[in-house]
Amino acid sequence: MSRAKLLELGIELPLFPVTAVGSFPKPDFLLKARTDFAHGNIRRGALEKSERQATEFWIRQQEELGVDVLVDGEMYRGDMVAYFAENLDGFEEGGLVRSYGNRYYHKPIIISEVHWDEPITLEWWKYARGLTAKPLKAILTGPYTVMDWSFIEYYPDRRTACRALAHELRKEVEALIEEGAKIIQIDEPAISVRPEELPVAIEAMHILTDGLPGYFITHICYGAFQNIYPAMLELPVDNFDLEMSNSQLDMLDLLKKSPFTKDLSFGVVDVHTHLVEPEPEVEQRLRRALELLPKEAIWVDPDCGLKTRTAEEAIAKMQSVVTAAKTLRNDSGK
Amino acid sequence: MELRLCNHSSYPRIGDAAEHQLLRRTLTQRDKGEKTDDAVRAAQDRLTELALAEQAEAGLDLVTDGQIRWDDPVSHLAGKLSGVRVNGLLRYFDTNFYFRQPVVSGQPARTEPLLLSEFKFAQEKSSRAVKAVLTGPYTLARCSVEENAGAGGFDKILEAYTAALAAEVAALAAAGAKVIQVEEPALLKYPDDFARLEGSLTALARGKDSAQIVLALYFGDPGPLYDRLQTLPVDLLGLDCTYDPSLIDRVASTGAARTLVLGLVDGRNTRLEDPDAIARQLENVARSANLNLAYLSPSCGLEYLPRDRARQKLRHLAVIRNTFLGSPA
Repeated sequence: MSRAKLLELGIELPLFPVTAVGSFPKPDFLLKARTDFAHGNIRRGALEKSERQATEFWIRQQEELGVDVLVDGEMYRGDMVAYFAENLDGFEEGGLVRSYGNRYYHKPIIISEVHWDEPITLEWWKYARGLTAKPLKAILTGPYTVMDWSFIEYYPDRRTACRALAHELRKEVEALIEEGAKIIQIDEPAISVRPEELPVAIEAMHILTDGLPGYFITHICYGAFQNIYPAMLELPVDNFDLEMSNSQLDMLDLLKKSPFTKDLSFGVVDVHTHLVEPEPEVEQRLRRALELLPKEAIWVDPDCGLKTRTAEEAIAKMQSVVTAAKTLRNDSGK
Repeated sequence: MELRLCNHSSYPRIGDAAEHQLLRRTLTQRDKGEKTDDAVRAAQDRLTELALAEQAEAGLDLVTDGQIRWDDPVSHLAGKLSGVRVNGLLRYFDTNFYFRQPVVSGQPARTEPLLLSEFKFAQEKSSRAVKAVLTGPYTLARCSVEENAGAGGFDKILEAYTAALAAEVAALAAAGAKVIQVEEPALLKYPDDFARLEGSLTALARGKDSAQIVLALYFGDPGPLYDRLQTLPVDLLGLDCTYDPSLIDRVASTGAARTLVLGLVDGRNTRLEDPDAIARQLENVARSANLNLAYLSPSCGLEYLPRDRARQKLRHLAVIRNTFLGSPA
């Protein structure tokens, strides 16, 4: 378990620490500002003012709810891959492609050698940290997912592209750690889809994290975990943040087939439904996590980022998460 | 060797131009209660017409309706069957596209046509021959989950999906579909299920009448199954040739017992293929395999590309054919 590592980093967390996966819904005033900016009606400074205002809103919300490890809410990001592609050299913005239903995103194209020129998320992390005394996660999209969700025109193959991205994104991790970030989440939702490429993803994670002083989480969701478990435990991270509730906790049976050797951030609410799960249901889901791991190894959060929900739904879902965690914490006498 | 050009299946239903945003806009407005289902259908009609026109403009011999109306390749069919409800999102193979998973609680059964009106619309609006496309029973079954053992297990689900889609194939054939594509990417993930697929295809083909059945395999390398594929009860084999560059050499050296649809143009990457290199591969096939006819196609549906790049890929098919025809065969 990695509680000792957290303590070494100066972070003491309660049992069942509550966190969010990353994104929260953008308030209406920010959506309007983004539209105005896209149409050239406002300047970047005005957009950033709205983004800061929205970030502060979500920091305050998390504090009021009682979240233990906060996120900045990603108010400044559109898509999780496109955002990094926009801020790394070597990419151009591709046209829209569909992700599901009526949802679309601009899929980037790697047209030349990728290069990290300057920090991408750092200023936002620093801004959010200045708004709270609680631990704040730094979050970036991992090299395997950036590679997999981009078109590759420049590099001869996927592994070469992934390695190049890992080397460049490590510079972002180093910049965050230098500024004081201790809990760093690497989002890798694409990692489970090509089991034969798991070694490529593991290699990239080593490039990204080896030798760096941090508590590393990787968020993986909506994939064929049966194809990569338990081999995925070789990823050099401390904590796996997994979507559990969208599949009615089916994954528990899979995870029981082999010892789960890491901490687990257990997704207890489904982010793809408007329904706000009742607190007893969330609590029941969380109790099932104890079938797998000791309580010291369990974190609690939603399945995934909440950006597709309304602000009211997101807050209500987070409230359910916090209440469930507190109930189990009380049961444990801590 | 005659080389015909065809689209694979899907085509982007969005693009950067305002008219290409019509369906997205209308769906959003419908969800807010500002537009009706009729308005959505009209937007789908319009985007289908645009997809057909772009395929014709690119010079294709065989087009599709672009699957503009499909939310995803699984729930669009399975979700219309009784005994099935659709649930949460799952990733579609190794793409970053998600489908809603069918939950099978009883025997899936066809109570209404699934694709018939869509096919008829495309046929009426298209200047080119239209290929009907449906996700195959085996892939639907693999993408489904059974609830409370209510369907009797995987083989029963496969059998029921097969019966439902066999009725659809018969209806499409009766409506004039000359070419019907059955997509079974799941076979490449579960090659040991070859016999199951064979049984399903045999049942599916019974009602096809004079229509030709294409079996489309993609999102993986069909090479290891190549010889066995020649024995299947289908008329054409659609092969994703992008996973293993040596597959096309295998085709040249061993020939084919079925007409081949060669997916040599990568439907999942924007990089344009070298037309000279592909023309040489085709020339090798023409010379060595003694085929009278083959189709050149993207490796999979084009919805995984932005619209401008998808259109470019279609036009590239014609560039490759021209290079092939100009080469000393």
